[in-house]
Amino acid sequence: MDFLNSLVSGFEKTFIRDDRYKLFLEGLGNTLLIALFATLMGVLIGTIVAVVKVMHRQTGKLRLLNAIGELYSTVIRGTPVVVQLLIAYNIIFAFSDRAVLVGTIAFGINSGAYVSEIIRAGILAVDIGQTEAGRSLGLSQGATMSKIIMPQALKNVLPAVGNEFISVLKETSVIGYLGVVDLTRAAERVITRTADVYFPYISIALIYLVIVCGLSWLLKKLERRLARSDRG
Amino acid sequence: MIEVKGLCKSFVKDTPVLNGIDCRIEDGEQIVVIGPSGGGKSTFLRCLNMLEVPTSGHILIDGEDITAPHVNLNRIRTHMGMVFQHFNLFPHFTVLKNIWFAPAQLKLQSKEEAKENALKLLARVGLTDKADSYPSQLSGGQKQRIAIVRALAMNPKIMLFDEPTSALDPEMVGEVLDVMKELAESKMTMVVVTHEMGFAREVSTRVFFMDGGVIAEENTPEELFSNPVNPRTQQFLKSVL
Repeated sequence: MDFLNSLVSGFEKTFIRDDRYKLFLEGLGNTLLIALFATLMGVLIGTIVAVVKVMHRQTGKLRLLNAIGELYSTVIRGTPVVVQLLIAYNIIFAFSDRAVLVGTIAFGINSGAYVSEIIRAGILAVDIGQTEAGRSLGLSQGATMSKIIMPQALKNVLPAVGNEFISVLKETSVIGYLGVVDLTRAAERVITRTADVYFPYISIALIYLVIVCGLSWLLKKLERRLARSDRG
Repeated sequence: MIEVKGLCKSFVKDTPVLNGIDCRIEDGEQIVVIGPSGGGKSTFLRCLNMLEVPTSGHILIDGEDITAPHVNLNRIRTHMGMVFQHFNLFPHFTVLKNIWFAPAQLKLQSKEEAKENALKLLARVGLTDKADSYPSQLSGGQKQRIAIVRALAMNPKIMLFDEPTSALDPEMVGEVLDVMKELAESKMTMVVVTHEMGFAREVSTRVFFMDGGVIAEENTPEELFSNPVNPRTQQFLKSVL
């Protein structure tokens, strides 16, 4: 009975009193927003970087762009995301105090480095015969890449990109460093008022878990659907 | 007309796959290239449209040296169709789009013209009912017939075939060879790498026997199959016939 009572009072303190659920909703909204747009940006950047790297390897062209791509991958994957966030907010975008926007951009740039590897693998997984068929018909390298290879590559990597969204969603929990109220920061704000650490932390852990499980379930369905269309 | 002069190709330094090929193929000829595997047949064929870049030597198509730097290969390739062993149809396009896509994309025809032409080509190989299917729904023989008309949709002057029947179930070889025979009858310039000796004998104007990266022997099919001169040709023919 004691346990149940403390559960009810924990819930009341954490979510109901002073309309604190609104803070959690705001935090959840920011978490989802940042994760979504950062992943979209990551896919955009990742696609460009992947195409540059593959084209450079196949033809030896685009030397400068490829070098920039390599530097980008090395720096982003070689430094912690929190450090990147702090540098973005306090140095590169110091003129702006729009933390949500800056955070989204920083996560997007971070995600792009990982997505580029996913997409690069996706491109390389498309049979070389597809490129040869395209080129033998007189299509340019660019047209072959954009109309023949990329549609197949992106379809191949769609599940992996979905996983990247899940990763980014969890990673955004460090954006509190910029003062943004995301789900994690919302819990911390409440804790400073109630001095109860248990209920808020366990609650947000469960919220993350539910979202991630839901997304994973959707991804599995997507993957099955894609596999079916492959078999024709 | 195709002229090949001193064509060499090495993938690894000092181990040439093509070791000096000279030949001349006139318009309207049907050349069949035979020989043991590893002899350089496919590499030779793939050099003809520069899918493989030669290490040295020259290839002239109607007098234009396509191995020269800064040649617009895309323009050259629009006049040379290629058919692959593994079909290489575009799996994300319908059968019809596989055929009309390249001519429309390269603005050789409007989309409508290209689609109309694609339907005519499909009718020619008896696959009109497959227009809206995807490649994964076709049999191997059907895929290869589509691959042939995909190349024909570009109105090529030359057609290259890289072992077009090697990946097919035996009962599907005939339907593909029939399309190729019909093409030969229309006097299309063809270079065919194949193990189908019957096709070589019946259809070709000349047969090249390739071994060790060179054309070891070339002759009309009648002569080459009945009176091979080179001992390596004799040995090869004995083992395959």
